[in-house]
Amino acid sequence: MAIIEVNNLSKTFKVKLKEKGLKGSLKSIFKPKYKVIKAVKNINFEVEKGEMIAFIGPNGAGKSTTIKMLTGILYPDKGDIKVLDIDPKKERKKLAYNIGTVFGQKEQLWTHLTPYDNFKFFGAIYDIPEVRVEKKINELKELFELDEFINTPVRNLSLGQRIRCEIVASLIHEPKVLFLDEPTIGLDPVVKENIRTLIKRMNKEYKTTIFLTSHDVGDIEKLCKRVIIINNGQVVLDDSMENLKYHYLNKKIVEAKMKEKVNLDDEEGITILKDKGYNLKIEVDTKKRSVADALKLLNPDNIVDINISNMPLEDIISTIYKNEADK
Amino acid sequence: MLTAVKNQFKISFLTIKYALMREMLNKVTFITNIIFMILNNASFIVQWIVLYSLKDNVGGYTFKQVLLLWGMAAGTYGVSRFFFKKAFSLSEIINNGKLDSYLVQPKNVLLSAITTDVEPSALGDLLYAYIMLFLFGCTFEKFLLFTMFIITGGLMLTAIAVILGSLSFWFNKTDIIADVGNSLTTNFATYPDGIFKGIVKGLLYTLIPVGIINYIPIQVLTEFNLGLTLIVIGFTIFLVTLAFVIFFKGLKKYSSSNLMIARI
Repeated sequence: MAIIEVNNLSKTFKVKLKEKGLKGSLKSIFKPKYKVIKAVKNINFEVEKGEMIAFIGPNGAGKSTTIKMLTGILYPDKGDIKVLDIDPKKERKKLAYNIGTVFGQKEQLWTHLTPYDNFKFFGAIYDIPEVRVEKKINELKELFELDEFINTPVRNLSLGQRIRCEIVASLIHEPKVLFLDEPTIGLDPVVKENIRTLIKRMNKEYKTTIFLTSHDVGDIEKLCKRVIIINNGQVVLDDSMENLKYHYLNKKIVEAKMKEKVNLDDEEGITILKDKGYNLKIEVDTKKRSVADALKLLNPDNIVDINISNMPLEDIISTIYKNEADK
Repeated sequence: MLTAVKNQFKISFLTIKYALMREMLNKVTFITNIIFMILNNASFIVQWIVLYSLKDNVGGYTFKQVLLLWGMAAGTYGVSRFFFKKAFSLSEIINNGKLDSYLVQPKNVLLSAITTDVEPSALGDLLYAYIMLFLFGCTFEKFLLFTMFIITGGLMLTAIAVILGSLSFWFNKTDIIADVGNSLTTNFATYPDGIFKGIVKGLLYTLIPVGIINYIPIQVLTEFNLGLTLIVIGFTIFLVTLAFVIFFKGLKKYSSSNLMIARI
């Protein structure tokens, strides 16, 4: 059964245009010009119960606008949304009792209060009886390992600890769907990994449906089994992680600083992206050749410094979008 | 329905309590803010003492009535700024997309947004208001009536601020209009209404309802009048309802934002 249903969803924003300089400002007072920006154009998708889905796209693609319409923050211009069979436009409060939201860039906690007091406050917001809140706090305290700092004011917590608390605060009322908008933004790799493990554990323990937006390939790769890519307000790909990986994440970028110049040419599974003598940037297609193989070609003893990374998400999206447009 | 209202009030009071706790973290600033506000208000009375040493009656008010008028103005201002501080920066909240976190909570968005902060100096206004009432002459009935009128007045000032702030849903840069509108209701509140005539007087009982917020309560406190009391209550209900209607109509046009925001 689909827990989120989105049909022909559209949203436009009207933006005032202004010509440059003071003259432009004066002109815009008497003869204002507007531009209509179509942030979301006729998108359709469904999310099943218990799924962990990545909703990704470059900046300005329409991700946040969509997530805000799904959570009842924004009113759509057109189309239908059903989250747990509730229309966010008509029953915002009813929906709020059943969903949780974490916006990595927006803090919901009171910074002068301790996480414990904040959780009690959120319990009151969702009209949960004291005893049940207490029980839930204890349960989540264990799961998210908050024991060390549950009684420290939020303003004295590290970013990673704060994000953990933000997630816990959004789980106090046992939501059936959790919307995570860039939950790992600004976190170091260790904390990121920690948060991912906790999200996974939560999905396993409570069967919470996770709707995640992130620019971090690691988040998407490690958490989600399905990916929806949105660009220019349109869904350009809705596929399983397995397929996406097979098609796009098999390409690794190897940047190496060499002791001596290497003469390397394009060959099966290896594309030279940049060759500046001592600095080399190559793309390795791991379907055709392993990274270890590629390194052998460079001669490991000759390598001073090396960096191996995934193909940037933006590149993947651009590639996918381009492919879609060419169809 | 009744439970929902009860829960809403519980959350609003809890929010105000936490906001007050935050302000009390800095004890010295908190207390000085209150004391200085009382002194600030008291300093304005000096000019009236000078004026009343020359005349017995200004605009139909005796000196004690002017004291009560200042008490009423401070009290209504105190109620609105202490309990609903954020109503006075609603334009900024709307423009910067700060309603998001309240929209994902199962509570009234407007109440959640405007009760999230308190103004400690407004406690000084409230204390000053009651000092003025005692100087005017306080009985138990007058104490209750005065308390009711500073609540209705505070609600009306808040409602006006919400209406003006909600203009931001439709237009840009309306914070200036809101600031001017809010200042008008405060500036006119400390002068006896007898000095205003014609159109200005008309405006003070309609568009800038200082007459209903301050002048009518002074009349009722001087000589009780049930009809006038009901007018104040009725107008409060009308204005508060109008504020809710306009805010929620505008909310459909809310466009959020992606600014980095912290709840501080």
